[in-house]
Amino acid sequence: MSTFRLRGGRVFDPANGVNGQIADICVRDGRIVELKPGECAGHEYDVSGMAVMAGGIDMHSHIGGGKVNLARMLMPEDHRLRTREAASNPLELASCGVCTPGTLATGYRYAEMGYTAAFEPAMIASNARHTHLEMGDTPIIDHGAYVMLGNDELFLRMLAQGTDFERIRDYVGWTMNATKALGVKVVNPGGISAFKFNQRSLDVDEAHVHYDITPRQVLNVLARSLTDLGVPHPLHIHASNLGVPGNIESTLATIDALQGLPGHLTHIQFHSYGNEGPRKFSSAAERIADAVNANPNISIDVGQIMFGQTVTASGDIMKQVRQADYASPRKWIAGDIECDAGCGVVPFRYREQSYVNALQWTIGLELFLMVKNPWQITLTTDHPNGGPFTSYPHLIRLLMDKSFRDEQLARLHPDVAQQSPLGSMTRELTLDEIAILTRAAPARLLGLRERGRLNAGAAADIAVYRENADREAMFTAPEYVFKDGELVARNGRIVATPAGGTHYVEPEFDRSIERTLEDYSDHHLALNFRHAAIGRDELCSCCNGGRLLPAACGLHHHDPHDPSGQQS
Amino acid sequence: MNSTLSSPPWTCPFCALLCDRFGVDAGETLKPAGTTCPRATRALAQFGSAPSQATPLVNGQPVAVDAALDAAARWLRASRQPLFGGMATDVAGTRSLYRLANACGAIVDHAHGRALMHGLTALQDRGAFTTTLAEIRTRADLIVCVGSSAPSTRHPEFFARCGVGERASLQREIVFVGGGIDPALSGTASDGVSTRAIPLQGDLYDTIAALNTSLSASLSARPPRGLHPELAALVRRMLEARYTAIIWTPADLPGEHATLLVEGIDRLLKTLNRTTRAGGLALGGDDGGATVNQTLTWLSGLPLRTGVHPGGLAHEPHRYDTARLLADEAVDALLWIASFTADLRPPETAVPLIVLGHPGLTAACTDRSGPTVFIPVSTPGIGSAGHMFRADGGVVLPLAPVYADSLPAVTNVAASLASRLAEVAA
Repeated sequence: MSTFRLRGGRVFDPANGVNGQIADICVRDGRIVELKPGECAGHEYDVSGMAVMAGGIDMHSHIGGGKVNLARMLMPEDHRLRTREAASNPLELASCGVCTPGTLATGYRYAEMGYTAAFEPAMIASNARHTHLEMGDTPIIDHGAYVMLGNDELFLRMLAQGTDFERIRDYVGWTMNATKALGVKVVNPGGISAFKFNQRSLDVDEAHVHYDITPRQVLNVLARSLTDLGVPHPLHIHASNLGVPGNIESTLATIDALQGLPGHLTHIQFHSYGNEGPRKFSSAAERIADAVNANPNISIDVGQIMFGQTVTASGDIMKQVRQADYASPRKWIAGDIECDAGCGVVPFRYREQSYVNALQWTIGLELFLMVKNPWQITLTTDHPNGGPFTSYPHLIRLLMDKSFRDEQLARLHPDVAQQSPLGSMTRELTLDEIAILTRAAPARLLGLRERGRLNAGAAADIAVYRENADREAMFTAPEYVFKDGELVARNGRIVATPAGGTHYVEPEFDRSIERTLEDYSDHHLALNFRHAAIGRDELCSCCNGGRLLPAACGLHHHDPHDPSGQQS
Repeated sequence: MNSTLSSPPWTCPFCALLCDRFGVDAGETLKPAGTTCPRATRALAQFGSAPSQATPLVNGQPVAVDAALDAAARWLRASRQPLFGGMATDVAGTRSLYRLANACGAIVDHAHGRALMHGLTALQDRGAFTTTLAEIRTRADLIVCVGSSAPSTRHPEFFARCGVGERASLQREIVFVGGGIDPALSGTASDGVSTRAIPLQGDLYDTIAALNTSLSASLSARPPRGLHPELAALVRRMLEARYTAIIWTPADLPGEHATLLVEGIDRLLKTLNRTTRAGGLALGGDDGGATVNQTLTWLSGLPLRTGVHPGGLAHEPHRYDTARLLADEAVDALLWIASFTADLRPPETAVPLIVLGHPGLTAACTDRSGPTVFIPVSTPGIGSAGHMFRADGGVVLPLAPVYADSLPAVTNVAASLASRLAEVAA
C-alpha cells in the first residue's frame, strides 16, 4: 500500500471551487484520500511554493490512427530533428519527431509537461483497431477517441431514405460500442462523402449532390442521438467550410442547427473567419465569442496556431485537397476510405510575416480572451494541425502575460499587428482559469468523473509546478507528475512508464440494428461484418494491457449555470 | 473440422488482402474451405492438422528452447551492429522486436523492403492519393491496372474483393496498361464488366510520362500532339469516369528506380482529382510488410529501414537494405523473422544467424556452414491470435488461430531475448 502526502502546495482545483488555497493533497493506492494532519503517510513531498493541479487533459489531439501515421511517413525530415533525445534517458525507447512524434515520444512528452490524458478526436470506424493499437503504444497517459460519423455512406443513406430516428440512433450506439469510442465527431458533415461524388464544397444548408440531404440534418440527428443515448460528451463538431474566408456564417448556422442541444465546436479558430477588408479575410472572433457567450449548450476548443513547421492531418479531404497547393514542403496525401470517411495530410509552415497566418494567430487568442465562461472553452492547438502539443507552455504564457503577448504581436505582419483588437485586450488568464481550460473543463465535457479534479476519491493524476513568473518555463517542466498515484516524471524527466488506460462508453442500443448493418456490409464493404466490432478482450490486447475505463452513460450533460461553472 | 475453432471468422494472413470470408479444413495438411485461392492453398499446405513439434536448433543440433534463447542473446549482445531482417510478423511481434532492437541497437528491414521502399520514398517526396477496397467496390467505374503482371498473380482474390462482376448496376471498365487481361476476369464479361489491354508506348516509364503529358494537355485545352491514340483515349476515359482506381503491384514494377513510376502515378492521380475523382492502390505489404511498416512508424516515428543507434534513430531507405548491408559486411549478426511460411528463407551469409521461423525452415537452418540458431515460432492466424494491416492501409484485422500452438509466438521469443539482454545490462 503506497501512501504519500503533497504538503503545503497552492491547490488549484476548480471542479471543487479551490482556487489557490494552501492545502495538503494525500494519495493512497492511486487515489486521492483524506488524511488527518498528523496521520502518517509513507512519503512526504514538500511542495510549498508550488502550484498543485490535476493532470492536464487534452481533449483534441491527433495522437493516433491512420492519418497521423501517414503524417509521420510523409515527414521524415521532421523526425530527424529529435532523434537524439532517447539516448539521454534509458527508460525511454527511441522515438522521435516534433509535429508528429512517434507514439512513445507522444506519451513521454505529454507526461513530462504534466498532462495525464489525451484524446484522439477523429477515429474512423474502419480504422478503429489501428487507432487503439497506436494509443495503446502511447505510454503513461490515458487516452480515448471520438468515432467519426456523418460521412459514412450507411448513415447518409439511412438519412436520405427517411429511416426512423430510433434506428439511426441505434446505429450510432452500435458504432460507439463496436469501436470503443468515448464520443462521436462529425467532420464537415456530409462533405467528405460529397467529395467522393466530386462535390467540391458543401455549406450547412446545401444539398449533398448524391444523397440530397444537408449538413444541418446530419448535425441535428447526430446531436439528438447522443442526447438520447446519454453519451456524456456532446457531439464533437468540425464544422463546414474549414479555413474558408467568411466561414463565420457556416459556423453560426452549425450552432443554429443544434436547436439548443449540446455541441462542442472544435478548433473553432479555423471556423471564425470573416471576409471583410482589402484582403477579404478578417477576424470574426467577436461574433463567435458572442455566440458562445449566448449559448450555454455550446463548448469550444480553440485550435490555436503556432508559428513554425507543422503538418495538418484531417478527415476533411474536401478542404485538404482544396488547400493542397499551399503545402510546405510541397507534398501531400489524400485518401478515400472504405465508404466511411477520408483523410488529407498537408504539411504547413505558419509564418509570422504572412497576413493570413498572423491573423489566424490573433483570432485564436482573441477567442481565448473573449469567451467569458472558462468552462465553455478548452486549450488546444488541434495538435498537430495548428502546432504541436509541446507548444502548450508557450500558449499558456501568451494567455497569462499581456506584455509577452504584445511583444509577440509586434513581430507579426504589420497590418495585422496594427489592426487586431488583441493589442487592446488586457485580460490575463489566472492559474485558476488555466486549470479550468486544461483539466477541469475537458474532464467535465468528456464525462470523466474521476479525472481533472483533486477531491477525495478522484484518481491521483496530479501535476505539481514550481512557481515561476515565466509561465512558459513553469508549465514546461513540472516538478512532479503523478499518474494514478505513481511518480512518472520528475522535473521534466520521465521516471516511470506505466501503460495508460482507455476511456470509452458503452451506450445501450437495440441490437436488431445489426441485421441492417450486416446486410449493408455484405453488399458494400470489404470486411466480414463479424470482424466489425472490437470486444473488451481485444481492446485490452490492442492497448498493451492498459486499464479499461468505461465512462457511465445516461448522465445529464453539464449545466454551465451550476455553481462550479460560474467562477469566472 | 470446419472453419475454425474460435467463434470469430478466420482471417487469411498469407497475403495483404487479408481475406476473411473463407475457412480452413484439416486433412493431412490444412487447406482452404470456400476458396480456390492458390496462394492460400499453397501456404496452408505448409501446416499439419495439429501443432508442429519442431524443436530449436543451435548449429544444427536440437536443443531446449532456453539454450537456443541463451545462444541467441549471447550473439546479439556480442554484435556491434545487428540487423533484423525478414520481419514477417504481426503487430505484437513488431512491438516486442522494437523493444529488442532498442536493447541491442539493431537496424530493421523487411524481406520485401525494396518493393516497400518504391512506395515509401515516393510518399516521402511527393505524397499519395489513395483509395481502398470498399471504395473501389462501391464506386470505381474505371479500374486501370498498371504494369506487366496481372493483379491476381500475387493477390488472387483482388478482383473478387473489389466486387468486380457482382453488380450489373455498376458498369465497369477494366484496362490493363502494359500487361494482358488478367485471367482472373474470365467469365465476368457478361456482368457489366468490359476489359481491354493497352500496350506500352516505349517502356512503362515512358508510358506513365506520356499519360501525364496527355492529361496535362487535355486540361489546358492544348491538343496533345504525337500521342499514341490508345493512351490518349485512356486519358479521355479517365476524365469522363466518375471514379478511376489505379492499381499496381510494387514488387513487379520494372527497373532500379521504380520510385519514379510511383511518383508518376501520384502525379496522374492528383491531376485527375482536379476535375474528377480517382484514387490509387498499391498491392503490396505481404508477409507482414504493411503491418511492420505501420507499427514501426508509430512506435519510433520512422518507417522501415530505420536503425536504433546510440546517437539516436537513423532512417536510411537506400543504405539499410538487407542484401546491401550483408554484402558490405556492415552488419555482424542477422535476426531473421519468417513466421508465416517457409518460403522466406534467410539470405546466404557468414555472420551469426538467428532465425525465428516457420517450422518448415528447419532443414534450411540445419545445413548451414555459419553459426545458426533456429527457433521455430507460431504463425499468427494458425497457431496464435494477432493483428495485421491490409494492403490498402487503414484496415486492421484480428487473426484467430486454427489451433492452440505448441510453439511460442514471435512476441514471446523477442520478449525473452530482450529480458536476457536486460539482465546482463543490469
